Amino acid sequence: MMSFAFRRLGAGFVQLLAITFLAWALFYLVADVTGANPAQRVAGKAASKAEIRRVAHELGTDRPLWQQYGRFVWKLAHGDFGYSYQQRRPVAEIIYPAAKTTASLVIGAAFVWLVLATIVGVAGGLRPRSVLDRGLMVLVLLGLSTPVFWVAPMLSYFLGYQPTQGQVFSIPLPHPMTLFPIDGYVNLVDDPVGWAYHLALPWLAFALGFAAVYARMIRALVIEQLGEDYVRTARAKGATMRRVIARHVGPNVAPMVATMIGLDVGVALGGAFFVETVFGLPGLGYVGLSSIQNLDYPLTVGTITLAAIAAVAANTAADLAHGALDPRIREKGGG
Amino acid sequence: MSVTVAETVAPAEGVLRSSGRDFWRRFHRDRLAMGAAAFLVLLVLAAVAGAPLAAEVTGHAPNAEYSSALDLNGFPLGLMQRTYDAAGEHHDPRGQLFVLGADRLGRDQLVRLLYGARVSLMVAFGATSLAILIGVLVGIAAGYYGGKVDAVASRFIESAMAFPALLLAVGLAVVIGAGLVNALVVIAVFTWYYPARLVRTQTISLRRTQFVEAARSIGGSDVHILFRHVLPHLAAPLLVYGTSIVATNILFEAGLSYLGVGVPLPTASWGSMLSDGVTSGYYRFDPALALVPGAALVLTMLALNLLGDGLRDAFDPRTSR
Repeated sequence: MMSFAFRRLGAGFVQLLAITFLAWALFYLVADVTGANPAQRVAGKAASKAEIRRVAHELGTDRPLWQQYGRFVWKLAHGDFGYSYQQRRPVAEIIYPAAKTTASLVIGAAFVWLVLATIVGVAGGLRPRSVLDRGLMVLVLLGLSTPVFWVAPMLSYFLGYQPTQGQVFSIPLPHPMTLFPIDGYVNLVDDPVGWAYHLALPWLAFALGFAAVYARMIRALVIEQLGEDYVRTARAKGATMRRVIARHVGPNVAPMVATMIGLDVGVALGGAFFVETVFGLPGLGYVGLSSIQNLDYPLTVGTITLAAIAAVAANTAADLAHGALDPRIREKGGG
Repeated sequence: MSVTVAETVAPAEGVLRSSGRDFWRRFHRDRLAMGAAAFLVLLVLAAVAGAPLAAEVTGHAPNAEYSSALDLNGFPLGLMQRTYDAAGEHHDPRGQLFVLGADRLGRDQLVRLLYGARVSLMVAFGATSLAILIGVLVGIAAGYYGGKVDAVASRFIESAMAFPALLLAVGLAVVIGAGLVNALVVIAVFTWYYPARLVRTQTISLRRTQFVEAARSIGGSDVHILFRHVLPHLAAPLLVYGTSIVATNILFEAGLSYLGVGVPLPTASWGSMLSDGVTSGYYRFDPALALVPGAALVLTMLALNLLGDGLRDAFDPRTSR
């Protein structure tokens, strides 16, 4: 186990280096290709040549590239993500609170989609090709085909905006009311109920697509596991189906689902872009998108880097957990 | 069935041909998949011929803004409505018909939807072809040569898969700028590793087959074996996989355009049409602005997913749903 853990951590470290290099290269390319000289941007339009040179020296953009990259990684290792052009304060100060919002969104949504997917996947997998299963699979197919950036505004419209106009799904209500808030974010520590209330629609919007993917996977895994000998043995010994699912099939399926989640954190962070924009949540996606629109590259790079670090960390953690749960993975050499 | 000597030593081609017939027979029976295929053919026709036809019939260019399609408050026309007259209050009975209404700039939604289909399909198919090309080259090299080549390629594929694709794609799109070809390249850069992984595993199992061994024993070169014996066997899985990648890439392009880093405005794309209706908030007053491009996306995705499932089942009935 220890050697597997070391190998996996080593691979994670290499991935982190690759990602920081990529993020830095992007930033450097932007400065070079678009001629957006970072020193010029920081010093302002009215700055003299000497001032720009001084700022360039402070930023380190006058040094050789390998030194700039070294500096970038060195600063990152110390939690320094650079300095925002637009907001004129450290990027870390902006992205850490944003990361908390995004974490609330992604973790809560992951919970929602796992619950939905487990119910649908197990219900379908227990009776493949039954009427219930076919109906559920139609829903799953719809979920797979519906982009999050369409679901989000639709939920916001039908469950957020329409009730304030006295309707729900265009069905008249007795009087206008606020069913769900359309935007805004409340901190978990300040007001846990308000936090969940404000995140309910974003969680749902976020979770539907993933729920479909996971329901399909869990269904396939359940069908596969139910065909195994150990299930027949357990049933022959008189175990109920409920017990077989909970004590035998569940523990076999769970590690695979855990690995999938680890892999999907990166994908999920991409989806946060859309959900946060639609629901006005001040998360990483929102910050990243506005930084792109403002050409605030250090903030863009900071957002992407932090998200990538989170994705690699989740991926590594999931693999380690999988290795701890399933001895076969360790044997194969961490593949 | 009497098995003659000639039949048992018959070339593999005969086997392939009959399995191809089986494939078509099974595929024909799958009504959902056939319907999906028909829908996709219609979609391509609509994009290629329907778009200029609709522009011709309505007289509306895809990017032209018609102020007569907006009322005095600047609200666009709804579905099946005609333009406002000069007083701006009543629909002009002789005015031009806007079948799917107008967007907030007074552009014809139907014409834009059809031209947007061109962009969606072009980027999605182009990016998928490019991704499969890269994926096949990397995967076939890794799977066929094995050893160090495989180790390097596999690590490369694994780390690429760990990247948060959309985030980095947005970053890359910002750097190289918005554009049809750029969006295509960005999407391919972040999807090639899926076919690469598939091709690698398939090639590894094909490498050990007797027909590859036989080809090698009679002196076939690596290139000959790869192109004449290995690649043809990859066509079926790649077709199935490619269908699902096209679906993903249609969403990818729509997502990039939605974020404003895909195909540049004013060129219509389903993603930018949706974004235009949603982020402006106009869809709250005219839901069709979000419903129309959204429905186009969902239906296309649905058709591609059904087609992918149907192809998979037809190629390999054991994995049927």
